[in-house]
Amino acid sequence: MTQNIDVVLSDTKPTLPPLSRRNFLQLAGLAGTAGAAALTGCHGKTAGGTGWMPDQYNDAGTFPVHSRGRVPIDVINPSICRDDRKCILCGQCADVCNNAEAVMGHYELPLINDIPCVHCGQCTLWCPSGAITEVDDTDKVQSAIDNPDLTVIAHTAPSTRIGLGEEFGLPPGTNVEGKQVAALKALGFDTVFDTNFTADLTITEEATELVHRITGEKKAPLPQFTSCCPGWVKFCEYFYADLIANLSSAKSPIGMIGPMIKTYYAEKAKLDPKKIVVVGVMPCTAKKYEAARPEMNSVGRYLKDPSIRDNDVIITTRELARFIKKRNVDWEKLDPKTLYDKLLSAYSGGGAIFGATGGVMEAAVRSAYFYITKQNPPKEFLNMQPIRGLNGVKEDKFKLPVAGKETEVRIAVVTGLANAHVVLDQVREDVKSGTKEPRWHFIEFMACPGGCIAGGGQPKTSLPPSDSVRKARTGAIYSIDERMTLRLCHENPEIVAIYKDFLGEPCSEKSEELLHTTYFDKSNLLVAKKKA
Amino acid sequence: MFTDMTVPQTYKTESGLFHLTLNSYLSFTVGFHDWTFRITPLRLLMLLTAAAAGCIMLVRFVVGLHPPITNLNDEYPWGLWKGWAVFAGVALAGGGYGTAFLVHILHIKKLEPFARRTLLTSLLGYILLLLGLFLEIGRWWNFWRPFVDWGHASPLFEVFWCVTIYTIIQCLELAEIITEKVFKFLHCIFTFIFPAVVICGVMVPSMHQSTLGAIYLLMEGRLTPLWWSPIIFLFFLLSSLMVGPAMAMLESAIAYFTYGHKTPLPSMRLLARIGGGIMLVYLVLRLGDLYLRGQIPVLADAAQHLFTPDNIEGQICLGEIALGVLLPILIVFSPLGSTYIGLVLFGIFGTAGVFINRMDVVVVGMVHDSGYWYFPTVMEWIVCFGFASIGLLAYLFLVENFNILNEPEHHG
Amino acid sequence: MKGVLVDLTKCIGCGSCSVACKLYNDNKWVEDRAETGGPRAQLCDANWTVVRQVKLDKDLNALPLSEKKVDAVSGATDSSNQVWRFVKTQCFHCAEPACVASCFAKALQKDENGATVYYPNSCVGCRYCMLACPFHTPKFEWEKPLPRITKCMFCSGRLKKGESPACVSVCPTNVMKYGDRDELLQEAKQIIAKSSGRYVEHVYGEEEVGGTAWIYISDVPFEQLGFRVMEPKNPNSYPLPRKALPHWTEPYMHWTPILGGIWGVVLAGLYIITRRNKVAAEKNASSQPAANG
Repeated sequence: MTQNIDVVLSDTKPTLPPLSRRNFLQLAGLAGTAGAAALTGCHGKTAGGTGWMPDQYNDAGTFPVHSRGRVPIDVINPSICRDDRKCILCGQCADVCNNAEAVMGHYELPLINDIPCVHCGQCTLWCPSGAITEVDDTDKVQSAIDNPDLTVIAHTAPSTRIGLGEEFGLPPGTNVEGKQVAALKALGFDTVFDTNFTADLTITEEATELVHRITGEKKAPLPQFTSCCPGWVKFCEYFYADLIANLSSAKSPIGMIGPMIKTYYAEKAKLDPKKIVVVGVMPCTAKKYEAARPEMNSVGRYLKDPSIRDNDVIITTRELARFIKKRNVDWEKLDPKTLYDKLLSAYSGGGAIFGATGGVMEAAVRSAYFYITKQNPPKEFLNMQPIRGLNGVKEDKFKLPVAGKETEVRIAVVTGLANAHVVLDQVREDVKSGTKEPRWHFIEFMACPGGCIAGGGQPKTSLPPSDSVRKARTGAIYSIDERMTLRLCHENPEIVAIYKDFLGEPCSEKSEELLHTTYFDKSNLLVAKKKA
Repeated sequence: MFTDMTVPQTYKTESGLFHLTLNSYLSFTVGFHDWTFRITPLRLLMLLTAAAAGCIMLVRFVVGLHPPITNLNDEYPWGLWKGWAVFAGVALAGGGYGTAFLVHILHIKKLEPFARRTLLTSLLGYILLLLGLFLEIGRWWNFWRPFVDWGHASPLFEVFWCVTIYTIIQCLELAEIITEKVFKFLHCIFTFIFPAVVICGVMVPSMHQSTLGAIYLLMEGRLTPLWWSPIIFLFFLLSSLMVGPAMAMLESAIAYFTYGHKTPLPSMRLLARIGGGIMLVYLVLRLGDLYLRGQIPVLADAAQHLFTPDNIEGQICLGEIALGVLLPILIVFSPLGSTYIGLVLFGIFGTAGVFINRMDVVVVGMVHDSGYWYFPTVMEWIVCFGFASIGLLAYLFLVENFNILNEPEHHG
Repeated sequence: MKGVLVDLTKCIGCGSCSVACKLYNDNKWVEDRAETGGPRAQLCDANWTVVRQVKLDKDLNALPLSEKKVDAVSGATDSSNQVWRFVKTQCFHCAEPACVASCFAKALQKDENGATVYYPNSCVGCRYCMLACPFHTPKFEWEKPLPRITKCMFCSGRLKKGESPACVSVCPTNVMKYGDRDELLQEAKQIIAKSSGRYVEHVYGEEEVGGTAWIYISDVPFEQLGFRVMEPKNPNSYPLPRKALPHWTEPYMHWTPILGGIWGVVLAGLYIITRRNKVAAEKNASSQPAANG
């Protein structure tokens, strides 16, 4: 009888097996236990504490640890951003910011009204979980490409060609110049220029300015500081605003190529400057900041429409790689022999080595030699070993006949802003003590250790970013220079042409207007920490 | 015309257990055994509201309290449901214990007509309160926790226990009435324990009515000073006592209009005057308290700018005191207080005054603190009206089927 | 009792503390609903600690929330009259917490280190604690069908192991110091005394609502930073109570049962007396008609 009923039940409700006596007892037991636990006033666990913390924080008390916390990043930072969900508080970003770049922890507290940042992006390279990244601007590029009214022109920095390949599995130090141009074309850029061209232009302006400073033609103090690294420039404005006059007024290569595209090239190609979008492909996150600086619209001021910017968008090497992958451009099929477009792309070995620490200095010295002596430098100036390599501070000196007088020119090359403090404090001291003869005539500063080849926008490598990769990339940069017959910036035929056709001569009125800039005292934004 | 056509027609099942009587095209009576319930359009509407409220309740248990169920949030954790059920509902239901005190403890014979009907409203109010509370608490499956984990420092702990005990007590009191009609053999038991039940039934609610106010003692600096007071519990106690008579006036009016049952005027007048007396004490204390805490200027400001929106809290407080306390006092101690109309007006204003007072404490008084005006969602309103409908329907059913309105048949 | 001393002048707004809190307590990121940093940072069910950015005029008046840093890029001129401060916000862990006094199921309790902790198993979800807290700290999981109250637990589990709270342990600029509350209070007073007027002459949390475990020092008046203060200059702000809030309910809860008992006895007495009178009156009444008739 009971069996019959069971059968009926299981027939009518096949999905719900009948509750057996055993199951029922089990359920009742569970409920009873739960009830008993509840009735005895068992509170159970407190809320919270179910997660984990990185090991260095799990000590009793508040012992000092080396890597603690993280860098502050303003939400309106134009260069870097952070996804808090990925942060594991490893402390690497704070470590590199503090020890390699000397920014975090080098100002007094409380803050004033700025979260100090030089936008170098080293933290993006060190962040192991990918929480800190560049601000992604590829969408802006895409929408510009999609707009048929706009002419989108890319220009690529000296270092991206030796970094981009790593994102596609090539060993560090592989030069992919042609493929990079082909990729940009495949992505829909109308024209691709080479920032190396304006690297040459920067050198001609900067070297001329240096000569003018040495001869006294320009009333500005020595040593002259390079100004092509925006991270370094902001660092100087923050911490050494009293030395702003020492910064070369010549703009960085990106600051020069934008105006050249929107004036010189636009004229030649019969384009409306307002409908040109200049996209810089850079190894650098600080370039995003530099391009966004309010005064970086000299072309706008020149054309009487201040809304026209020198550069419209800056993307990093990593963003370019991501862009290429997102658009499914087949890397293997790109022609490695693709050439840059004419007019603003020819470059010399001097422009090519801009990407390595010491490169700007070497190129500038080669041209300065020419401007002073009116003859090209001898062979030893084409391989200045003392200022090459990854040392933080490198020095060299050589003799030049200035105004018929044999003069010793002393130069220094600084990489990594932590090293800048040592040199700059010395300069400051010399200024204070009123030394007539400058300790150095020209100093190159690069925010990123190793220069742009290891810039904050370059492909991520091992952690922490290793010197072997830096060396491989540096080697690739110098081998470009070595293989070239054209190694002096001022001899670049397109440079010669642009001066002849458009600018006049280095440091002329027109080039001062389009190729030079001014700097702003930012010392009111922070209180620099006094040396102990 | 219609009256000719609306001759009552009765349909009965074979056993005679269920029956349906058509009274008119819009009204009929359902029956089971010897219980009947008349369905009119208004009652149908109330039934529908109650059903809607029930559906929303089910949804709330599945999805939680967030919009679109309620507009509550971290800045406004207590809203219409808490104010309606726990504070206003309990206050209105508080009429029961006041009348019980007058009738059963002080044995004032004149007031006996009110005893049963206020008991009934009170019990229904408390049952709905418990239901509403169950609906409102976030972790409803844990509702029994305070019986086990005694958070005895909390005023809410006392409220919780007292409300539970008092609901049981009221059930016992009601059982004394119910057993007049069904389970008659138990009637003697309930009659026997009646005195003890009645004493507890006055003591327990007078404790928790004041403690409901004491809940807000912790909100010093958050509740607007117009309502927060170190003696807020006293205000809650007094107002729960004074709303009883006012409610009783309303119930008498309903009894008259619905059933033609006329409550004796002297009884009504006496009860209303007792209520008015308590209101007077309340008014003096309230104004004195406001004066001592420097809040009179706020009210004066509100009085000067009655029609500008700068001091809305002050205007609402002023309105609450003037219309909800002062006006009923004036009515009940004027010649108007000896007429049915006057007494019903007293009931309307007195009840509304206390109801609004509770909503002011829970909702309006927290506006300043949270920084914005909370307004309940449609769902919150439907549930409130649904609960009120359930209460009213249950009241009507019980009144129509049990001896509630009349004096007890064999008392003592 | 343990405590934390927060020196607001040292905070750079990096948000390490809010990340640490999320990591240790396994809380979700709900930036779309409530941010953990910036001017709109606010506590919520998932944010147990946040760092709120406050922008002030140089003369230290708080600017409206909408005020933005005008020149984001150069950071120059236009915003130069602004001053930024960052306010680490979490439960203050009062010495005598109103939330503990409000909880009728003992779901909120004070542990041996002075942390105010929450036991979800006991909680009914009545949300009285949210209203009782003078700092608006407890939050509720409104989004969930089976919600909990949430608040900072002072990392009670870490404290029991002798570790400092997660947020304190990760701070790169040592804004916070964990230790014995009384010692920290002395230290705070020394810092203020030695600062030659740089700090506001007040340790927030020393006396507020009867004292809190987390105490703050600042160079900007606390009211300007959005703290509730005992003597607000803003006429629209209600003062924060100086006395611990349970001081209101404690005597009430102590006396109510006693008074209630007395009231019960009185009621019984009244019942007996009036009933005797009534019975006598009824006897008279029943004998009277007979006499009349």
